[in-house]
Amino acid sequence: MEPSVYLMLAVLGGFVGLDNVSWTQTMISRPIVAAPLAGMLLGVPEQAMWAGVLLEILSLRQLPVGAARHWDVGPAAVAAAAAVAVLPTGTTALAIAVGFGALVGWLGSASVHLMRQFNSRLVVFTGPVAPLRLSVGHLVAMAGDFVRAATLTAIAVYCIAWLSSEVGAASRGEEIIAALLLLIALSLSCGVLTRTMASGRAAWSAFALGALASSVVWLWLG
Amino acid sequence: MVSVRAWRARQLGCLAVARIGRIQGVQLLLRSLAVQGSWNYRTLQGAGVAYALLPVLSRLHEGDGATLARSVGRHTDFFNAHPYFATIAIGALARMETEEIDEEEISHFKRALIGPLGTLGDRLIWARWRPFCLLLAILIFFAGAPWWVVSAAFLLLYNVLHFGLRIWGLRVGWQQGRDVARVLLSSPLRRLPDRLTIPLAAVSGAVLPPVALLIGAGAGVSPLAIISTALPLAVVGYWRPVLVGRLAVAGLIVGASVLAAFGQVLS
Repeated sequence: MEPSVYLMLAVLGGFVGLDNVSWTQTMISRPIVAAPLAGMLLGVPEQAMWAGVLLEILSLRQLPVGAARHWDVGPAAVAAAAAVAVLPTGTTALAIAVGFGALVGWLGSASVHLMRQFNSRLVVFTGPVAPLRLSVGHLVAMAGDFVRAATLTAIAVYCIAWLSSEVGAASRGEEIIAALLLLIALSLSCGVLTRTMASGRAAWSAFALGALASSVVWLWLG
Repeated sequence: MVSVRAWRARQLGCLAVARIGRIQGVQLLLRSLAVQGSWNYRTLQGAGVAYALLPVLSRLHEGDGATLARSVGRHTDFFNAHPYFATIAIGALARMETEEIDEEEISHFKRALIGPLGTLGDRLIWARWRPFCLLLAILIFFAGAPWWVVSAAFLLLYNVLHFGLRIWGLRVGWQQGRDVARVLLSSPLRRLPDRLTIPLAAVSGAVLPPVALLIGAGAGVSPLAIISTALPLAVVGYWRPVLVGRLAVAGLIVGASVLAAFGQVLS
């Protein structure tokens, strides 16, 4: 991978990391947006979108409520997109990309936790505060978040690029295992996210109805 | 009967409306986008709220550095709300500051807003609107739409409510000041989360079959067998969401690592 591509992915990772909590929250950090954007830089937007969609289903159950810790989905999506770009095509590559993205998201969550502890030293005051001091503290915290997310993305992309040189084309057996792995994880996640967002008998009935109707349509479409 | 104090506050408010113009309003809105910029475990969004209010406070206490510093210091105290709904608090606080309302009352008001703004925002945005928009976008992708249409459609749909809420919140907060709670109580937004529950659950159910069929096709199993596997698994996820959610992700990470390592051995 060219150094300029690393740099672009790191900058994208920084921006989407910032979007996740610190600035705007317009949801460009969501995997279905960040992954294809990264994929576009790497020339594989469609494949990256697949990784983004699967990562989205896995991460949706996490709610950023209060001080809850949740995946840093932006850098995770960029890393997953980089994985599908550098690994040989197939379901195995997709499973590795999504699993790798989840791991990066989790590591990102840990780095956000450290960042928040550091922010306590920057912007917690007692008594009067000069406006300039507040502004500098606040903006340094945001810049720190950008650097954190960009660094995480750069390291993740470097790791997956290194790993790709070691991974060969998948066998038929591996493809089947990867498909089953994804099928199990995603099916379980669909149930989990429904319960997390909308519990109750009526919600459960709506979920079952939606699933049955959709099954009929998709089976009919073949 | 209007008290002298209230009358004076109202007059000051009218003056303030004239003094705090459109530019300050735009500044408040733009700065509110960074309300979580310095989120920390001690004051949460406290510094973010003070940072958003800075243009108004600087204007009000122009030439009086000591009062300005004291006012800024007060606003860096603990505060937390849903980031989109924080504009309601920011607008109302800006109004109360311009009306020169007692510091103690402003602090009480701020603390009283934390619960309602947090609960409403979390239920409406994080638990309903965001997943609804995302799942709808995923369905559009499975229906064959190009990736850029899916991403753009999601961003557009989601952000209509997002920016609408921010602008509405700032306006309502500014117009109502400390009476903003009354507007929140009568707002139709309170009922919206419940109204979105059923559509969200239905869309969530509708996403499962295509994702299972498209992924499961790689295993070479018949579509009917895939569906009959996926649906009971979803029921298990619904039954034990916390444990199963963690296990599903952990299993995928471990499985993917094994696959990567296996590929490494083969190569």
